[in-house]
Parts: sequence; structure tokens; C-alpha cells
Amino acid sequence: MNPWDFIIANPVLNVLIALSHFLFGQFGLAIIALTIIVRLITWPLNRRQLKSTKALQDMQPKIQELQKKYGKNQQKLQQEMMKLYKEAGVNPLGCLWPMLVQFPIWIALYQAIMRALATTPENLLDLSARLYSWDIVTQTIPLSSKFLWLDLGQPDPYWILAIIVGGTTWIQQRMTQAPAIDPRQESTNRMMLLMMPLMFGFLTLMFPSGLALYWAVSNIIGIITQYFATGGRGYLKFHSPFKPKQAKGK
Amino acid sequence: MKQSKILFLVVIALLPLILVSCSGTAQRKGGWSGPTIHDGIIYVGTRDGMVVAVNSSTGSQKWSYPINPPTTIYTTPIVDGELAYVGTYGGRVYALTIARGIERWVYPRTGSIGAIVASLVIANETIYISSSDGLVYTLDTTYGDLKWKSERLAEKLWTSPAIHGDTLYVSTFDGHIYALSAETGDLLDWSFKSQAGFTSSPVIYGDTIYVGSFDRHLYAIKIGSDVPLWRFPGEKPAGNWFWASPVVSEGVVYAGCLDGKLYAIEAKTGEKLWEFDTGKPIVSSPVLTDNLLVVANEAGNVYIINPETAYAEQIKNPDNANKSTINAKIRASFCAYENLVYIRGEDNQLYVVDIEEKTVSEPISLTKK
Repeated sequence: MNPWDFIIANPVLNVLIALSHFLFGQFGLAIIALTIIVRLITWPLNRRQLKSTKALQDMQPKIQELQKKYGKNQQKLQQEMMKLYKEAGVNPLGCLWPMLVQFPIWIALYQAIMRALATTPENLLDLSARLYSWDIVTQTIPLSSKFLWLDLGQPDPYWILAIIVGGTTWIQQRMTQAPAIDPRQESTNRMMLLMMPLMFGFLTLMFPSGLALYWAVSNIIGIITQYFATGGRGYLKFHSPFKPKQAKGK
Repeated sequence: MKQSKILFLVVIALLPLILVSCSGTAQRKGGWSGPTIHDGIIYVGTRDGMVVAVNSSTGSQKWSYPINPPTTIYTTPIVDGELAYVGTYGGRVYALTIARGIERWVYPRTGSIGAIVASLVIANETIYISSSDGLVYTLDTTYGDLKWKSERLAEKLWTSPAIHGDTLYVSTFDGHIYALSAETGDLLDWSFKSQAGFTSSPVIYGDTIYVGSFDRHLYAIKIGSDVPLWRFPGEKPAGNWFWASPVVSEGVVYAGCLDGKLYAIEAKTGEKLWEFDTGKPIVSSPVLTDNLLVVANEAGNVYIINPETAYAEQIKNPDNANKSTINAKIRASFCAYENLVYIRGEDNQLYVVDIEEKTVSEPISLTKK
């Protein structure tokens, strides 16, 4: 057995099946429970990111001050901004790292969903070699792929999850995005703000809805924690000083 | 800002990585249709979605029938009279003439039912079909007309029904064994419920049903009883599922297990007589021929076992004695006829094992010619 299967993929698979046993045989509920567990495990990382975002929010008056002072000298402005970030112990790119850290979890979860649901005979046979001999696992197999309107092994045919995943990705992205320090970064921010929801919405249409369910729940948890950590919905109204109109006016 | 763009590019670059990583877990299906022999002709479904007829003496293809639209075949063709019947993963049943492989009828004529994974069963001019939509369908063998379909018995049915008298017994993944009237499809009074689901098709011997379970036990259930007659092994479960249907003969149950072992069990008591460890999962049911047991494991090793003495001998690979008997995985059921065992490998080739000579012939390619 390769290390990936031994350390990550098979434990995630067996935990998911065991969770289904305790959650009325509902695999969808097991995915939601696992999402919450994953968010709890990655909480220290997320907390750092939330603090960073809050600090960036609090720094806005100073950033605007620097903008006024060094607006015509972009190089100097960037230097001063970086200095300011360093003094405050803030990493403006920190918001993306939790997402990167979650990549292996997504892969393991995708594999676990496909393997656990065993939609083809080959997959069911393959599953037999990956299960622990726990009674709760053997008694829960095979799992039902039905959850609400979804077949968790297939993409959502009604696009509802795609809209939820895209929408919640946009909101979370909007809440966690670091303020831009120059028009170029503002442009990147805007691109990311558009690209990420579209990309995840698109992936939701391609991937099993079980994985999309994980994305949706994870996003919703992220939004809620961000909401409380950064002072409520007011943060959603936050705007970068580099709105295109303002930039033109200068 | 350069760094953010780099990070953005990293994110984008990682997405294909996800896709690549996930591709190994995609919904794989190649099918494992086994061969069946009738009047010297072998009929088998291939991994490229065809039904082929091969002359067993010469190894030449008599005819081939490509299923259209292309699909996967898990069921072993079954011959009755002048027709060969096969069910497909695409959810259709085909009746082909054995003489030329011409389609006589297809059910349903338009559209499809749920995917058919379990082999068809024929009795009294009726074809019994378990479907992945959870229903059992019965068709008239001559015209393919629907006789009846059952109520939904489970989320999906991947095991063949067993017929005993005028009753049909169906095992389900959710741990039920249902009894249906073979004539009307009506559910009869008796059913059996187990804590764990059933992996294998039921086999009936006398008045007892033998069936493998996801809880790593083999169950013996007396028809009409609410409690199992026995379950094997007694306390500690086996190393894996009893996936393949057992074979029962002269009061002994021979059950292959995914833990790699073949168990010989006293049919009445559930007492173990002997076991033989092949080392790799046994997916296909063993075959009993000429007082010898033939068993193959997934790794491609074929063994001949004397059921009386439990003496086992591996058939050697003709090219390299240290390798598996055949150079391919074995998942399909196999058939025996006059000291010859016909095995379809996962490499889409047909192997003929001579159990007297203990040799394997040159494989016959089943790929479209």
C-alpha cells in the first residue's frame, strides 16, 4: 500500500463510512460532519488568517495615508506598505494558504467519496481492499448515494450546488481578500474575485456532488467564522482605495 | 503585484494536479463477462463491449456482435435453444442467434432499464434479470416481451436471483433476502434481514440458501427461518468479503473469499473442513469438474484442488514458472467442459486450462478482428 493511501486516503475513507453509521446511514451528513472536523483541525491556520484579515482592515486608514503621500511613486509606496505590513506582522497573501493546505484534503475526500459510493462493480471490489475490519464499517457498506436531491457520486444536475459553491466562494473571497496596495494588485484581486467562484462553480458541475457539498459547507463555515472574527457584515462593505473611478481621478 | 500573481498561477496549476490525482479513482468499468460453452462454441462478452462466439477446437472467432451504443458487459452470456442472451451495463438485454450472432430481439426496445451487472438466469422459458434500478424483470425468451417486473427491492441489485421450485430468491446489498413468486413477481410472506448487506448471489442447496455478506461471513439460511442456520467463520470474521457465489456439492460448501482463501465448509453445520490460501483475492466462483475443484485468484493464478484431500496444485505459466498462471487478472466467472477450463482474463484474452495435463494454452484474443 502506498503512503498516500495508508496515511490519508484510507483513514478519510473509513472515517467517512464510520460517520455515516452514526448519522443514520446518511453519507451526505457524514460529509458535512467531516467538513466540520476538517475545519476544526485547520482552525489554528484559519485563525491566523482571520487575524491577518482583521489587521489589514484596521490598517486601512494608514494605507490610505500612505497612498496619499506616495501615490505618484509606486515603488516607494510598495516599500512603505510592505514595511507597514511587516511592522504589524501581517501577510497580505495569507488568505490563500488555508486553501492550498486543503488541496490534499480535497483529493482524499474526492477519492473517499468515489470509493465509498462504489458506483461501479470495479469500484466496489476495490473498496474491499481499503476497509478496516471495524464492525461499524462493515455494517454500513454499501452506502446509499442519495442525499436530499443529490446523487453524491454524480454532479448536481440542477446546478443548485454550483450556484451555492460559486456564491459562497465569492462571499468568502470578498471577505478575506487583502486590500490592494496598487492598481495592479487591485486588478489581480478583481480577477481572483471573479475567477475563483467561476472556477469552483465550474468544478462543481464536473465533480461528484459529494465533493461540492464539502466545498459548500466549508465555505459557509468560513463565512460564519469570518463574520464573527472581523466584526460582522460591515466588513463585506469594505472597499479598496483603488476603485477604478478613484484611480482615474488621481 | 508579482507575488500574488505567482500564487494565483500556483492555484491554477494545482487544479490539473487535483484532476490527475483524482483520475485514478474515477468510475472505472471494464466488465467481467465470463465465458460459457455450448456445443463446442464459447460465448463471451469482451472488454470492448462485444459478444463473441469462438470455436473451442480451433480458437477462431465464429462471429462477433458489437453492442450499440457501446457499453460494458459484466454478465456471462447464457445459451438456451438457438439464442444466446446477454445483459449489459447500458441496461439492455440482447438475444442473439447462436448460429450467426444476429440480433433476434432487444429489451427494452427503446431506452433502457437500470445497469445489469448480475448474470441472467433462465428457467421455464423465462429470463430473470436483476437490475441496478432495484427491480427484477422477467422476459419471455422467444420474443423478449416483459412478463412482469417486481416492486423496487433495493437501491440497486447486483446479484443474480436464485430459483427454487416456483420461488425466486433475491439477495440485496442492504441485507435482505426476498422471496418472490417466479410466476407473478409478487413478494411472498418470507424474507430474511441481516445486519450487514449481502455481497454474493444466493446459492440454494436443499432447503438452505448460502450467501456471502459484507460483514465478512458466509451465511447459511434455512428457507422460512428468521435466524441463520450458521454463519462462517463462527466468531472472528474472515479476512474480507465472500464476494463470489459459493459452490455446493455433496454436502460441502466451497467458498472463495477476497482474503485469498478458499474454504471448504460442512453444509449442514458450518464447520470448516479445510482452507487453502491462494494469497490473493478470489473474485470468481470456483468450478467443480471431474471431482476436482478449479479456483483462480485475482492475480491470475489457477489452482486445481482435490476436494477430498485439499491437495492443491498451481498451473504453471508456460513462459515463466515463477509468474502467475496467466498474465492477466481474473475476475470473470469461468466454465469447464471435458477437462478444459475456459477463463477470460482482464487482458481481453481467453485462456484454456487443461486440468489433466495441467497446462495453459496460447491465449485466444477476443479483440475485434
